Amino acid sequence: MGFVLTTLIFAAIGIIASLCARICCNKGPSANLFHLTLVITATICCWLMWAIVYLAQMNPLIVPILSEGE
Amino acid sequence: MLNDDKSPFQRTFVNQVKRCAEMSRKLRFLKDQINKAGLLSSALPTLQSDVDLEALESQLADHEHELIEMNANSEKLQQTYNELLEFKMVLQKAGSFLISGKSYESAEGRELDENVYPSDYPESDSTSLLEQATQSEPSNSSGLRFISGIIPKSKVLFFERMLFRATRGNLLFNQAPADELIMDHVSSEMVEKTIFVVFFSGEQAKTKILKICEAFGANCYPVPEDLTKQTQITQEVSLRLSELETTLDVGIRHRNAALHSIGVHLSIWMNMVKREKAVFDTLNMLNFDVTKKCLVGEGWCPIFAKPQIQEALQRATFDSNSQIGIIFHVMDSVESPPTYFRTNTFTNAYQEIVDAYGVAKYQEANPAVYTVITFPFLFAVMFGDWGHGICLLLGALILIAREGKLSSQKLGSFMEMLFGGRYVLLLMSLFSIYCGLIYNEFFSVPYHIFGDSAYRCRDASCSDAHTVGLIKYRDAYPFGVDPSWRGSRSELPFLNSLKMKMSILFGVAQMNLGIMLSYFNSLFFNNSLDIRYQFIPQMIFLNSLFGYLSLLIIIKWCTGSQADLYHVMIYMFLSPFDDLAENELFWGQRPLQIVLLLSALVAVPWMLFPKPFILRKLHAERFQGRRYGVLRSSEMDIDSEPGSARHHEEEFNFSEVFVHQMIHSIEFVLGSVSNTASYLRLWALSLAHSELSTVFYEKVLLLAWGYENILIRMVGLAVFAFATAFILLMMETLSAFLHALRLHWVEFQNKFYGGDGYKFKPFSFAALADDED
Repeated sequence: MGFVLTTLIFAAIGIIASLCARICCNKGPSANLFHLTLVITATICCWLMWAIVYLAQMNPLIVPILSEGE
Repeated sequence: MLNDDKSPFQRTFVNQVKRCAEMSRKLRFLKDQINKAGLLSSALPTLQSDVDLEALESQLADHEHELIEMNANSEKLQQTYNELLEFKMVLQKAGSFLISGKSYESAEGRELDENVYPSDYPESDSTSLLEQATQSEPSNSSGLRFISGIIPKSKVLFFERMLFRATRGNLLFNQAPADELIMDHVSSEMVEKTIFVVFFSGEQAKTKILKICEAFGANCYPVPEDLTKQTQITQEVSLRLSELETTLDVGIRHRNAALHSIGVHLSIWMNMVKREKAVFDTLNMLNFDVTKKCLVGEGWCPIFAKPQIQEALQRATFDSNSQIGIIFHVMDSVESPPTYFRTNTFTNAYQEIVDAYGVAKYQEANPAVYTVITFPFLFAVMFGDWGHGICLLLGALILIAREGKLSSQKLGSFMEMLFGGRYVLLLMSLFSIYCGLIYNEFFSVPYHIFGDSAYRCRDASCSDAHTVGLIKYRDAYPFGVDPSWRGSRSELPFLNSLKMKMSILFGVAQMNLGIMLSYFNSLFFNNSLDIRYQFIPQMIFLNSLFGYLSLLIIIKWCTGSQADLYHVMIYMFLSPFDDLAENELFWGQRPLQIVLLLSALVAVPWMLFPKPFILRKLHAERFQGRRYGVLRSSEMDIDSEPGSARHHEEEFNFSEVFVHQMIHSIEFVLGSVSNTASYLRLWALSLAHSELSTVFYEKVLLLAWGYENILIRMVGLAVFAFATAFILLMMETLSAFLHALRLHWVEFQNKFYGGDGYKFKPFSFAALADDED
């Protein structure tokens, strides 16, 4: 799957998660904003981690050289 | 505190506080007595009957008095009992000496042989002395007298030697151990004692021996020589002993009954006294106006709680039947209010983590909002292994499931910290599982969960797999690190490069977030000076250097260029006008680098110089108007509180402000390099974790599993389990926790956090109960 496609998947998961948070725990504007912040931060962190590892492997400069005894 | 200028002893309610303190002392004494008597204090369900404080006071005084008396009496009785017991033993043993002693006198001239002597005859010293004694003795028995007594066993040897020295060897010393342990009233524990009889002659010897006995703490009891008298006295002593025993017994039972009846009420009383003391302490903080017969107090309350407070005050007026209502008046304050963040059980742990560094200034941005996610996330970057993550998750779930039971128990300090951080642990474990899936490590073993590897042999025979390596024939592995890397020779170069660049990217991202938060802070406090002369140059400086580096990293990854980023960054500073040659990553790189370098150079004086000068100008402008006087805002009806906080205007010290700004700028400039490098610890710790994990797996588990012997396999499994649990799960968790915490406290928070506020500490009866215990 490509980079863009998976990024869109992450975005979709983030949106679904925020909607769930809004539906399940609707506790006033300040608390809602807080939950939204948490979900967005978590989504961005997870996406960033995945994207970095994916990008690093897209055009690698070295390849695995198997060690003896494999 | 309105009464800051009065000493603690001048305050109005000091007597009540003293009385409460006295009562709690008595209560503690009673509690001690109950504990010493070994009774369990059974707490009755709390009866809400309000015992009057004065009645309680006199009751406590009575109880204490009674208890002290009982204790003194029983002690005296016990001592008498002990003495009688010793006397009885001395009678028993010494009697046998005296009987055999008689036979010595009549056996003068007989061949003295060791076998003749009774079996409890100890040493050869005494043998030779006995010979001397009988030889040098005149034949009349009246010269030979004796003293009998009892002495602790540990002192017997020295005692004997002292006696020999003192009487120049002219004595006979017999001893026998007592049959049972006796309570030594000096040290109040059971010791072994020895009964002794000393035969001597002469008056001077007697006084010397008596003095030595006293010095050694030996108790001397007179034993009659006559056998019938001995039995008579022994009978009398036994009778008295049994009497005393019954008396003591009755006394102890009586005391225990009294203690039991007290113990039932004890915890309620203690609670009451604590509450009263706290109330009086708080009342002491108020100002008592004797002429107008009212109390005045100042305090803080959250704005949302105002209607509740007014309602509570109305209820209090009604309940106490007072003539005049309580006045609740909002006033302006010059000093900064305390900080109050409302947290629930989940966010409380994170808020405490942030507060441990410093409590936020009033209305400053709270970093805890982001810390809830970024802290466990950075932990997971350093801990990434989904096998270990699952173990942590299990631990966290157990703690959360038994929340109710564990929160009422008294835990050790380590367990308490672990229990308090259970939600932090939960998030840490969830993120660890995620990062473990990305690093593709399950107890350091990679799995092909997301499909086949993107690498394969160049040809069917795989002949050059060990020399040149595999080849990439498909798109990158869809989720995480390709499983082919594990175990290969080029694994470390690849992973190191990946993780270092990842750390830089996370670092730049978090630091930018910090600077953005400082922007929002300045916006909230309407501090446009800070925005223009601090936020903007800081953003420019950080991003033109390290933001550019992040951009280069991403471009290099996307294009697969062979450019050397170290070279690019260093020569951007050293020779910016040179041609880039093979290090060119994109068109227009050289002019862009020159522009970025120039903007970074401009940003430094931009954040250093303008602000102090502008501040000085503003200060001068403000105090131009001062000469016309300032209207004081109207105060409440009770006037002129000297203790009420009023802020004095300060002089504007330009050099101080300038130096402060210079320090701040230098800190930022140098810090941007060091903080970015500091994020490399994300790489370092994750490498360490991965390597430790690999070592334990390969060198312990696989090695042990290679043998066919089941015992070796079990031992290997056990060692692997222990090493994983203690080193990886405990030590690495603590280590990663600590480093993630440091990254937050220093690298993230020093971009925007003031942290010099103070916490809102409302008076609470519930907090009292937790406090003291």
